[in-house]
Amino acid sequence: MLPSVMENTTDDYKIQSFDLDTQMLLKTALKDPSSVNLEKVSDIIMDQSLKDQVFSKEAGRICYTIVQAEAKQNNGNVFRRNLLNRLQQEFKNREETRRRSLQEWVCYVTFICNIFDYLKVNNMPMVALVHPVYDCLIRLAQPDALMNEEEVDCLVVQLHRIGEQLETMNSPRMDELFFLLRDGFLLQEGLTSMARLLLLEILEFRAGGWVLSSTAHKYYYSEIAD
Amino acid sequence: MSDWTRAKRTDPHSSKPENRKRGIDGSLRERETCCRGRENGGHTDGSYRYTEKRHANFTTPESTGPVSRCSRAADWGSQVDDEDEMRRDVHRDMQRRRILGAEVTQRERKTSSGSSESCDSREGENMETDEAVLLRRQKQINYGKNTLAYDRYTKEVPKHMRQPGVHPKTPNKFRKYSRRSWDQQIKLWKVKLHAWDPPTEDGQDKVLNIGELGLDDVIDIELDFPTLPDSDQKTTASLPAHSLSLEGEDCSGTPVKVQKTESRVEPDMA
Repeated sequence: MLPSVMENTTDDYKIQSFDLDTQMLLKTALKDPSSVNLEKVSDIIMDQSLKDQVFSKEAGRICYTIVQAEAKQNNGNVFRRNLLNRLQQEFKNREETRRRSLQEWVCYVTFICNIFDYLKVNNMPMVALVHPVYDCLIRLAQPDALMNEEEVDCLVVQLHRIGEQLETMNSPRMDELFFLLRDGFLLQEGLTSMARLLLLEILEFRAGGWVLSSTAHKYYYSEIAD
Repeated sequence: MSDWTRAKRTDPHSSKPENRKRGIDGSLRERETCCRGRENGGHTDGSYRYTEKRHANFTTPESTGPVSRCSRAADWGSQVDDEDEMRRDVHRDMQRRRILGAEVTQRERKTSSGSSESCDSREGENMETDEAVLLRRQKQINYGKNTLAYDRYTKEVPKHMRQPGVHPKTPNKFRKYSRRSWDQQIKLWKVKLHAWDPPTEDGQDKVLNIGELGLDDVIDIELDFPTLPDSDQKTTASLPAHSLSLEGEDCSGTPVKVQKTESRVEPDMA
């Protein structure tokens, strides 16, 4: 492959953080899935997502491409199956992960939401992930989590990206989540002003039908305010 | 198999549908706890508990790897595979329905008016097309079909022998119904299917292996609503007798049931 083409792939899928051999493996997986050990590839992706925040934000894309490539090439689903099962394993251990490393926990949530966003089945989100994703987001809305800006930040970012889709799949749980967010905003003592800002913005965002009015946008995102 | 399950199986009064389910490989299943009453998997930590102890996968000749025993398999990989498969099936059914609908309307134009073809793909425009609805309905149909009772029923009563009102018919997922109406049809259909539950030790069922026509549920006609709950029960209770009018061990000669139905066959059966 031409160097320029290879560079594009690296950038597209944000795989710069992998060593070169692994990058090569991933690129091969994209082009010729049956020639690589797809279980290994899914493990590599999963492991990296837990460590690398930049990667976990966009890892869904590379996963989607590999899933499509494998399905097209030999109607297989080894990659997807293994990825989902790893995801499930990590989900079961999430509380422990959170205790051990906030960073890893946040990466996990980012990753699972990203997978939910990208890995569609016949253009619809995977039903199997709906409750787990909600479980994660609701965990982020708990009082102890709201005290950590990284967790609040993660929560609002994910809601911006997949909130609307999630609500379509299951509206009562979104209500449940937002009850917690309102409570958190109003009652939680010790919240940083940034955390409160993020919460207020997400409350307005959803109230506006997952769109921020232009005036609200000016308030939250304008550079003019101190 | 647990002691509890064994006890349930031999209890002659136990006729719950869960005890009659068969796995994909044909063997009678243990009492299912995972298939019922749960929409999208559990949503608390506690609800995932049930999955860990059960052996959720097994292989079948058709599959290349472990296959989930039902659409509520423990692992996400299988759940999504099942979802995928079901979506594709529903899409394929929709395609077929459109083609059949087109064929039927053409045929109707050729024949004289007043044709009693009760194929309801006539109303192509009034078809249910919402994918989420179709998927949900298909799931409910699958639960009913994935039972021993259904298996025995289809083997015993081929489609051309089925009488409306007497024999259960799979509700037509492509027709527009309210949610309540649909759920009620499914319930009644499953109740009717119980007539073909496998015999308990003291029961005496004779299975007539007339053979199965390969038509699929795409052309099923909608279930007739019984007018009274009473009459429905009577029908259900009388069915086994109706279908078991044979005395003796073997099925020599034309079965009595076949003789009876032939005289009452209606022209518009699909």
